[in-house]
Amino acid sequence: MTATPPLFEIDDLQVSVADKQIVNGLTLSLRPGEVHAIMGPNGSGKSTLANSLMGHPRYTVTGGDVHLQGESVVEMSPDERARAGLFLAFQYPTDIPGVSMINFLRRAISARRGEEIPVREFRQVLNEVLGRLQMDEQFVRRYVNDGFSGGEKKRAEILQLGLLQPLVAVMDETDSGLDIDALRIVSEGINTFHSDDNAILLITHYQRILRYVQPDHVHVLIGGRIVESGDASLAERLERDGYEPFMERTTEGVLSS
Amino acid sequence: MTQATLDVTDAVDGAESELKPDDLRAQVEQLSRRQGEPDWLLAFRLASLEQALGMEWWTGQEESWRRTPRERLPRRARVGHVSGGSNGTATSVSQHVFAPDAHAGLVHQIDGRVAASDLDEQASAQGVIILPLSEAAREVPSLMQEWLGAVGPPLDRYDAFGRALWTQGVFVYAPRGAVLDESLFYLVTQDVQRGDHWHYTLVVAERESQVKLIDGGDANDRRAQLDETPLIHASVELIAEDGAHLEFASVQRWHRQSAAISTTRGRVGRDASIRVTTAAFGADLDKQRIDMDMSHDGGFAEIRGVFVGDGKQHIEHVTRQHHKGVGASSDLLIRGALTDESQAVQYGLIRIEPEGQKTNAHQTMRNLLLADGAGADPIPMLEIEADDVKCSHAAAVGPVDPDQLFYLQARGISPQDAERMVVRGFLAEIADGVPDAHMRDVIDELVEIQLETKAVAP
Repeated sequence: MTATPPLFEIDDLQVSVADKQIVNGLTLSLRPGEVHAIMGPNGSGKSTLANSLMGHPRYTVTGGDVHLQGESVVEMSPDERARAGLFLAFQYPTDIPGVSMINFLRRAISARRGEEIPVREFRQVLNEVLGRLQMDEQFVRRYVNDGFSGGEKKRAEILQLGLLQPLVAVMDETDSGLDIDALRIVSEGINTFHSDDNAILLITHYQRILRYVQPDHVHVLIGGRIVESGDASLAERLERDGYEPFMERTTEGVLSS
Repeated sequence: MTQATLDVTDAVDGAESELKPDDLRAQVEQLSRRQGEPDWLLAFRLASLEQALGMEWWTGQEESWRRTPRERLPRRARVGHVSGGSNGTATSVSQHVFAPDAHAGLVHQIDGRVAASDLDEQASAQGVIILPLSEAAREVPSLMQEWLGAVGPPLDRYDAFGRALWTQGVFVYAPRGAVLDESLFYLVTQDVQRGDHWHYTLVVAERESQVKLIDGGDANDRRAQLDETPLIHASVELIAEDGAHLEFASVQRWHRQSAAISTTRGRVGRDASIRVTTAAFGADLDKQRIDMDMSHDGGFAEIRGVFVGDGKQHIEHVTRQHHKGVGASSDLLIRGALTDESQAVQYGLIRIEPEGQKTNAHQTMRNLLLADGAGADPIPMLEIEADDVKCSHAAAVGPVDPDQLFYLQARGISPQDAERMVVRGFLAEIADGVPDAHMRDVIDELVEIQLETKAVAP
């Protein structure tokens, strides 16, 4: 079997926020069809990693590189990354009053495709994904994330995932704040999206979403770098023993962040 | 209708306007006769003129004038131009940027001439009236005489001159209990070659009635290069009797070199409401004064303002929520976006008299700055003499939220489009107060146009 070339490669990535280095040389490689989970305690750099991958202006890449389909994305603007097929499911989706979901979704899907989506096709695709996520049609008449409950916000992120069909989806704590029913629906949304052609990077604090979305690889993130990698059983070990045993391996200076 | 042309624009001149009282009196009389107005209306004009002559122009020392650029708002009073039916520039309602789809009634004026006028059956069966002001003076004289100026004495010299010199205007009247589903429209086309314009809008909602008027101002030639700044004044008087609900929306897109000043006054009856939404897009300078008289118990007033400034535009709102009644509420919401070197000022006063107990009054002013050279100066003021009231004010000036931009960009939307979407959304929330879907769309389009020209214009 010839090795499939990686779809998404993070190579010795270093990221700073306000001159403080948070991600300290992180290396990771995702092949098509794979699900990777990055697990880490609070302050380990999970959200910094997620936001910097998408190109948030507040985060500065000070070293290393990130490749999507062999092409470096670190010099790309966030919209260029999105059009190239990168997706970030936000931990805290931003509300944009006055902008309707339906208008926003149509713009986003047209941007991703590089051409205006025909109205009829848009409606068809939209209704299909809405139905799958057990969301009401009226939902898209509301303003983007405005007044949404925590669960609604996360569902709206999965709705976008399903519509935009990215190559690589980075899910930043998508499971936080969800009750058990919402967690199941959201997980099903992720599983439906997942195919042999795309890859998923699940960033999470807890192991519970991994009961629904099966990871091929699990990585432990502490102090801004991966300290341990393994298969799904690593997540169970973390659930049992916590992050404590891994933290001892890191240098004190890094741990303090 | 007037057939001949009356042109007396050059009789009075001067930026600081050296007024010639006798000439003005003669011109007002001539104007009134030419329009075939009854004697009582001429008397009203002349009395207003005397009031105006007894007042002073603003100097810039007054608190509500301190931030107005002196050289850009002429202090002058000229009798405007009125053309006859065949002499006016041909402009049909359909060419007007605000030409409505569904409407209960409509008056369209250009250059003082009535270009169109209609009223649907549902409205006329209920006795609702929408007529050009001069026509109303002839056809429903007693009604008009009862209400003209009933809102109170003129606010200042512009307002007083407005009552004396108007060449265009509309009278809207909803009898007791009349309820209209659709909006009425008053459209004005500014003839840019004809200099100054004075408009007068009078809306009366009798007890328990419900009426909506949309007032749209457009220019017949937006590209014309004018030798002189046209001064456009609008006097707007809104009266909601007990239990009546009146909605008024004004959207202006005057010629870019114009100086526009308006005086909008509302009188809110017991348990009545007046909602005013204004949208400013045209003119070099736009100064809107909005004054709500809340003398009666349980009334409600809402003032919404929306604007997009570009170039060196100056956009100013001076408002007063004046409470004397018990348990009345009022709300001010102003939102604008400023590009290039445009400037905005909001000077908003909540005044509560000692008897205005249980008042609920709020103000919010928010300005988005989209360019380094743009600026905004929101000034909320509270003068509260009653002790049992709820008041709040909030004012903000700042750029578009970078997290909102990032969110949209993360979905593939370009930074320029993302900014436009956020700004349009931000303003659409205010434009939602306009009681007509088509008009809301038009406002959204104008926002888009203003934001787009920014990218091209120097």
